Amino acid sequence: MSTAALTAATARRAPAIALDRVARTYPGGVRALDEVSLTVEHGTFLAVMGPSGSGKSTLMHCAAGLDSPTSGRVRIDGQEISGLNETRRTELRRERVGFVFQAYNLIPSLSVEDNITLPLRLAGRRPDREWLRALTERVGLAGRLAHRPAELSGGQQQRAALVRALAARPAVVFADEPTGALDLRSAHQVLDLLRALVDDLGQTVVMVTHDPAAAARAHRALVMADGRVVEALERPTAPHLAERLVALGER
Amino acid sequence: MLHLALRMAAHRITALLAVACAVLGGAALITATGVLAESGLRSQVPPGRLGGADVVVAADQEFHPSGDLPLALPERAAVPARLVDRLAALPGVTAAVGDIGFPAALVDARTGVTPVAEDPGTAGHGWSSTRLLADARVTGRAPSGPHEVAVDAGTGLAVGARVEVVANGRPATPYRVSALVDAPGAGLYFADGTAAALAARDAGGGGPRAGTVDLIGLRTDEGAGDRVAAAVRAAVAGTGLDVHTGAGRGEAVAPGTGSARSLLILLAGSLGGIVLLITGFVVAGALGVTVAGQRRDLALMRAVGATPKQIRRLAAAQSTVVAVIALVPGVAVGYLLAGRFRDLLAGRGVLPPELPLTVSPLPALATLLLVVAAVRLCARCAAWRTSRMPATEAVAESRSEPRTPSRTRTGTGLLLVLGACALSVVPLLSRTVLGASVTSVAGILAAIGLALCGPALVRSAGDAVVRRLRPGTAAPTWLALSNVRAYALRLSGVVSPLAMGVVFVLTYTLTQTTVLAATSEDTRTGTLAQYEVTAPALGGLPDGTLSAVRDVPGVRAAAPAGTTTVVWEYEELGDPAAESAPALILAPDAGGVLDLGVTDGGLERLTGATVAVSGEAARTRGAGLGKRVRLVLGDGARVDARVVAVYDRGLGFGPVVLSRELAAGHTTTGLDQRILVRTDGTPEAGAGLTALAAGRPGLAVAGTARDAAGTDPPPEVWINLAVVVVLLGYLLLSIANKLVAATAQRRTEIAALRLAGTTPRQILAMMRREAAVVAALSLACGLLLSAVPLALLGVGFLGHPWPAGPAWLLPVVATAVTATAYLTIELPTRHALRVPSAEGLRMG
Repeated sequence: MSTAALTAATARRAPAIALDRVARTYPGGVRALDEVSLTVEHGTFLAVMGPSGSGKSTLMHCAAGLDSPTSGRVRIDGQEISGLNETRRTELRRERVGFVFQAYNLIPSLSVEDNITLPLRLAGRRPDREWLRALTERVGLAGRLAHRPAELSGGQQQRAALVRALAARPAVVFADEPTGALDLRSAHQVLDLLRALVDDLGQTVVMVTHDPAAAARAHRALVMADGRVVEALERPTAPHLAERLVALGER
Repeated sequence: MLHLALRMAAHRITALLAVACAVLGGAALITATGVLAESGLRSQVPPGRLGGADVVVAADQEFHPSGDLPLALPERAAVPARLVDRLAALPGVTAAVGDIGFPAALVDARTGVTPVAEDPGTAGHGWSSTRLLADARVTGRAPSGPHEVAVDAGTGLAVGARVEVVANGRPATPYRVSALVDAPGAGLYFADGTAAALAARDAGGGGPRAGTVDLIGLRTDEGAGDRVAAAVRAAVAGTGLDVHTGAGRGEAVAPGTGSARSLLILLAGSLGGIVLLITGFVVAGALGVTVAGQRRDLALMRAVGATPKQIRRLAAAQSTVVAVIALVPGVAVGYLLAGRFRDLLAGRGVLPPELPLTVSPLPALATLLLVVAAVRLCARCAAWRTSRMPATEAVAESRSEPRTPSRTRTGTGLLLVLGACALSVVPLLSRTVLGASVTSVAGILAAIGLALCGPALVRSAGDAVVRRLRPGTAAPTWLALSNVRAYALRLSGVVSPLAMGVVFVLTYTLTQTTVLAATSEDTRTGTLAQYEVTAPALGGLPDGTLSAVRDVPGVRAAAPAGTTTVVWEYEELGDPAAESAPALILAPDAGGVLDLGVTDGGLERLTGATVAVSGEAARTRGAGLGKRVRLVLGDGARVDARVVAVYDRGLGFGPVVLSRELAAGHTTTGLDQRILVRTDGTPEAGAGLTALAAGRPGLAVAGTARDAAGTDPPPEVWINLAVVVVLLGYLLLSIANKLVAATAQRRTEIAALRLAGTTPRQILAMMRREAAVVAALSLACGLLLSAVPLALLGVGFLGHPWPAGPAWLLPVVATAVTATAYLTIELPTRHALRVPSAEGLRMG
């Protein structure tokens, strides 16, 4: 698909994620998100950065429908989710959203293949075998489907988690510190894969990270502090991001 | 979903073992109870003596209260003799026999009594009754005249032999054997006229049962049985008589089988409640541990898109698979268990040995439905919290308790404990076996309440202790106590079943022993007589025994006493109620041998249609002195009797005492069963009685000291004690399972502690201290929860606020609880310590 065609296609669609003045207050009065507004277009790679406690994880949980905001509106692929109950949100999530976590979060009792098809099974859908084969080949796991997660290396587990996230062809993939537990080489592989998904397949990816090098692979980076977005950078570079983070950390 | 459930189940096999054990044991107990209940409703004794009859007409030996299960009437009710001729005239009937049974025995001055039938009380029959036997071979000819008799071939006698017979209490009379009947336990057959005269059933005689027979047996033309049965039903319609064919004929052989069956129903009913409570408790506990162990897996599934409902369905599906697998052997064991239980009852003489168990798939089916429904419900409840957890919590890895125990849970638990305390007041108000049984139910309810409010209690107790801890406390102690506080839910999940075990054993056993002690105290102090004279082998005491006993030098008083069953109809809270109870039959002179603790009126007025009632019954059923009570006697006759005495010792002597005249003609044999004798206490008097018995074959003299005069301890007491053992085994097994599963799930924690520098020795010390806390808490809670009901029971039954029972019970229970807690924590911990710590972290 050419870039022009892609732009034309996304223009007709609602943004992948749209947050409108979203706030989240935890019991005890901690204000983790302070009226954040944000739009993520289809086919883009967004990195969210910030020191610990800046609200980046809460932002992701709210945007992904894992958590309900205290106020404000969240739309995923045009669908309003703020007012939905837990069950409806779960159903929407497994259709439109994929997740990759720092701790991989594969279920130890299930094989890699069962783990990959789990969200589809839960949704009562038939896995698209062609698509899954293409994906597993692409991430280099083709021969390991029958293994248990504990029998794979960290990088392999994270790539399996990536396939699981993509299995249902979601509108957006959220990655929460996807490289946080990986060695440098594995981290590179995973980041390369994420970027390739966006560039080649038009996938939308939102990645939360505190690693400036990882964030530098995104199209756009948001820097958060105290529950707010303090800076938005197009085509970020690692040195610049590092500098901003250090500055925030010293405040 | 089933596929996923199976995969996850296979991975958690050890944790699911606890569920499997709980289900297996529970299924066995429920099935066994079900088999007993079904046998109580449907079991048929073999037709025995009536095997050759195609149709049997007999009186209904059951009382049918409105809207309740029928109550058995164990005394033979008569059928009018003139009906025999009417039925004989029906087309297709080849023979109609009016059968009677009366006490009869072969005696010999040297060798005593030769047994001829299982029940000597009904061993005598008319010759025509031989036609009701199924292919009996008869050698010789029918007895004719008043001095000939036919005997069971098993006696070893020959035709023409001379024998002495005691029939219906008459003095031993010489007879000539005219025939041998080859049917086991057939009894003695007299010429029809002689039999009727001996039994005082002949139409011209003056006895209360003149002109009646026990039952009518019909033989029919080949294949005409059904047609004849229909015609007979039409002929007897409206008379209240029952018509039996096929397997139903066993019903008519002995009226006592009906009461054995209702005992089975009663037993199954009283067991059912306890069994269901405990099974539910154990299964819910095991599922709680299993689901808690999978909490992380389930939470991860939530994160990747499982709805809360799907999580609950997954938990339910998984446990159902395990439950169904465990149900198969469980149900099989249940059938075996029921068989063993029947043997035990038959061995104690509670059930007639010929009463078989009904074995049908119904109890298995009921067990399947009950257990699967319970397991699914429990699994869903256990997974409820995990399923409702926000999906973010799965991502934020957390190993601590889900949340603080909910207020509703704590509140419900406290309410249950309070309710149980209120319930345990019942024995104070009702000094009966039924009132006492509330004690153990109250104890178990309190234990369930503890399981609910336990976490909150444990947490606050742990808080209090940790706050007071001095800084210098050893690390393992500090760790153990911190664990107790932080994992209140997990700990109370372990403490509450152990406490339940303590409560169950203490309340259940001590209730039985307390009632037993109070009952025997009642009968011991109430029985003035030192001796009792009986004649079980003769079916009843021969006439003239009473006066002979009174003539023995040294005898101060002697009075006959019998036992029967009455159904008492009364109003309870405005509703009609009926209760079947054993009743003494006493003469007006019984006051010389029994002291019932009469508070109002007097036993000397027990003549005519009169009764004496216990104070308990008088109070609750409005039956004070001078009131009239409506009773149904053991043979179904309705009588209206006046209360002439109210007595205190109702526990030992039953709720009601009938006058001899009231009961006359309404018992199967009509003979006195026992004579109670009070002597001047000298050895000569005892020797005199023994000499009297030696001179009269069949008579037996025994002291009343051991087996006190009133009623024996009710068989339920022994049965309940057997049940305690079985249920306790089940409870302990499941507790052990649960503890092992709970400890095994702490591997990660143990590994993390080791990585943090805790030595294996310190970990073992910590776990041992936790085991000590568990055992101490369980014992303390168990004792506390049983204390109130048992104290009240003691006050109600014994007059002091502690129960009666074996002194070794408490130490044994304490040892068992401590050993269980120690072993089931120690062994899995050692196992966990053998795994390298890094590995342990990964496995979590």
